[in-house]
Amino acid sequence: MIFLQRTLPLSIAFLVGMIGILTYYIPVWQDMEETFATWLRIIFAFSFLLGIYSLLHLHWNRIRRRNPGWGYSAFVYIGFGLTFLFAAYNDGKWFLEPQAEGGGLRWMFRYVQVPCQATMFSILAFFIASAAYRTFRARTPEAVILLIAAVLMMLGRVPIGAYIYEGLPTFAQWLMAVPNMAAKRGILLGVSLGGIATSLRIIFGIERSYLGGGEA
Amino acid sequence: MKAWLANIDRRFIYLLVGLGAAAPLLFSFDLPVKATPPVRAVYATVEEIARKSDRAAVLISFDYDPGSEAELQPMARAILRHCFQRNLRVVGVSHWAGNTDLVEEAFATAASDYGRKPGQDYVFMGFKTGGGALVIDMGKDFPGAFPQDARGNDTRNMEAMRGIRSLKDFDYVIALAAGTPGIEMWIAYGQERYRFKMGGGCTAVIAPDEFPFLQAGQLNGLIGGLAGAAEYETLIGRKDEAVSGMRPQSVVHVVVILLIATGNLFYFLSRRKGAESP
Amino acid sequence: MSRLLLCLLTLLPLVAHAQADLLLPSEIRASDAPDDTGGRITVTWRRTASEGPAISYVVSVAESEQGPYYRAAEVNSGSGFLTDAPAEFGRRASNADYHYAHVETYKVPADSARFETRAIQKGRVYYLKLSVTDGQRTVEAPTAVSASALANWFNWAKLNNFILGTTFSILILAFITVARRNPNLYIRKIAGLDAIEEALGRATEMGKPVLFIHGLAGMDSISTIAAVNILGRVARRTAAYDTQLRVSTNDPIVMAVSQEVVKEAYLDAGRPDAYNPDHVFMAAADQFSYAAALEGMMTRERPATNILMGYFYAESLLLSETGASIGAIQIAGTDSYTQLPFFVTTCDYTLMGEELYAASAYLAREPKLMGSLKGQDYGKAFLILVLVLGTLLATLGYNGITYMFTSY
Repeated sequence: MIFLQRTLPLSIAFLVGMIGILTYYIPVWQDMEETFATWLRIIFAFSFLLGIYSLLHLHWNRIRRRNPGWGYSAFVYIGFGLTFLFAAYNDGKWFLEPQAEGGGLRWMFRYVQVPCQATMFSILAFFIASAAYRTFRARTPEAVILLIAAVLMMLGRVPIGAYIYEGLPTFAQWLMAVPNMAAKRGILLGVSLGGIATSLRIIFGIERSYLGGGEA
Repeated sequence: MKAWLANIDRRFIYLLVGLGAAAPLLFSFDLPVKATPPVRAVYATVEEIARKSDRAAVLISFDYDPGSEAELQPMARAILRHCFQRNLRVVGVSHWAGNTDLVEEAFATAASDYGRKPGQDYVFMGFKTGGGALVIDMGKDFPGAFPQDARGNDTRNMEAMRGIRSLKDFDYVIALAAGTPGIEMWIAYGQERYRFKMGGGCTAVIAPDEFPFLQAGQLNGLIGGLAGAAEYETLIGRKDEAVSGMRPQSVVHVVVILLIATGNLFYFLSRRKGAESP
Repeated sequence: MSRLLLCLLTLLPLVAHAQADLLLPSEIRASDAPDDTGGRITVTWRRTASEGPAISYVVSVAESEQGPYYRAAEVNSGSGFLTDAPAEFGRRASNADYHYAHVETYKVPADSARFETRAIQKGRVYYLKLSVTDGQRTVEAPTAVSASALANWFNWAKLNNFILGTTFSILILAFITVARRNPNLYIRKIAGLDAIEEALGRATEMGKPVLFIHGLAGMDSISTIAAVNILGRVARRTAAYDTQLRVSTNDPIVMAVSQEVVKEAYLDAGRPDAYNPDHVFMAAADQFSYAAALEGMMTRERPATNILMGYFYAESLLLSETGASIGAIQIAGTDSYTQLPFFVTTCDYTLMGEELYAASAYLAREPKLMGSLKGQDYGKAFLILVLVLGTLLATLGYNGITYMFTSY
């Protein structure tokens, strides 16, 4: 069991990880990398099924045990069922044909999902305004610089900034292209080094938390 | 009163922002939109490839969902209109599930403006999983990665796919992204490997993330947010949703700045009063 | 007659000059293009004195020396210098005197109207001829050169990348080994860790739960690994203080790992009875559904403390602003650059970027995390040195370091 749960996955991770690294430097092996990429896409597709199963299993347990908020879990099932039915029905063409132009699935997407997702994203505008009002206080010299930069950026990125002063959009562009980019690059370098270190730990089997469960 | 102004109830702030966004939609006024260099670069590249070759091919990756529709859909329409204006062939792909409707709407709207036909002038491959692995597959064998388009039609004999064997055969690749997978994935698995010309479009919040790639030359242009989309619409001479969106965006920005200024003013006044009190 | 002779004498230099415009280049060579999977041949030749805007070089290829030769590549005399491809030809000063062309495909007439594109095949010998044209006349080299395209075993253009990558990898693995032998490697205290203690104490006093929110990345992401380590510490404290802990995730594997970590923490604290697996849950798989589910939970259960750790996207502000509106004390940690401003404005304390990794290494004290962190620090120190030195030298006109770190 340990072989299947630990040894085999770790060996596969090592082998595939090393091939992935070496094919970057060895052109002769590029075909192998491309084959692996195709295999990976197939596995990704199966992971969708895994994700659906996990979600439904989780919510089923909540319904079965009547956990607080189990009604929302029931709603997950209703939503999933309806979407699945409409997708399978495919406006009368059934599921072996490409997706139909009309039908219930399209209707649900256009009039339920799109407005819901767009609304959630739109809430950010209100939250940003209230967060900015509450916390953008010029308490320290650094906060003053931040405040000035934020105001100039907000004005420079919209046409009204050019009305106020024609150089404002250029200054906002400079802020993005120079100080912001320098800061982002610094963080990017650090995070990338961290990503390389994590990948090495996973490839060499030092990091095993991605396998799920505790350490063997 | 001063205390209230120093700590306005957040619901009142929401109301002000709501009014600031809604009112300009009801009252029309013109705001001049001037294109910035990163946006101009994308436009100039499309113009250049249209001049150089007969029916050049552009690949657009639509990597966003309905949450980012407000910023990226106008951008997508503007770029598609530009490509169709210049009689370029456009191939569309998507790495994000659940946006096929949005992409098909963008294609249909832009194509109808210029009488462009699916299969001949453009093709949308639909969503496919794989992320970076898909990009590698596209680089090796593009028709192999997409033997059928989103409607089940065979892509191998399409006029829109003529001469396309791999990513290298595209004259320009534009990634419209709202997050991950997005521009960084395209650069790591595509542009770095196959060295094609690449431009980007993204939501305003992640635009700062992409500037290092712009500066390094991995992206030759970047369209950031609704403002970037408005600039692009101005460049192509077809003002639409993005330019209209500049009115509420400008007003809301001013509202937020005034709120910040008010908060700071009464913060300082109340601090001074606290210092003066015995 | 004398006038005719005069005209001829006047025109002769012009004709001679026009003939001289189409000089054949010298040093024509063909070879396998390096650093590729095969299927490409490089042809190089020396520039001539007769180059001008109208002059182009055409490379033709044949499968046998006798021909027929088919057009394969065309290079205008104003472009295609060896200096344009430093990865292949280096940076010698003389490179500006040579042109190059890559031959990958050639067009063969299929019938009277169509051309068939053929690719250069690996291992096969091809014969190449160079000709020079001004659009009206063409002069072709009398002899052909030959070459085969081969797949290469090493991409020499990426040698700098290989050396840096290998060195850094060895550094990381070496430090992990050192950390295993000496677990007391020094890491400076991260200020945000005190804030976590304070926040947990507050939740205990108020008798309200602590809500730990994972980001959207999977278990292979460094920020999620760091978040899980911090969760272990938080769970140990909540078990000891008898405070309720809720942990939300949006990935089934992260949920499974978090359940194990919390269970072990409660066991270590001697409170296995207090562990409830339902309190470590997957709220939703989708970004905004996740935000909506947690916002609802925050408004209903009103946790005293929110701890947001991991990689976040647009939902970061939705979560943190809702948390701020219910008066919860909030501590966030993320390496997501674009979400940091939102956390900084709405949370009481924010661990930025690598502070998150350092905090988790500091808390967990695991050799693999400590060693990695040390290795990363040395890597960053090296990069800072290179940046400063390289910028200074480049400003003074020496680009050696710039070229050493150029990615091809």
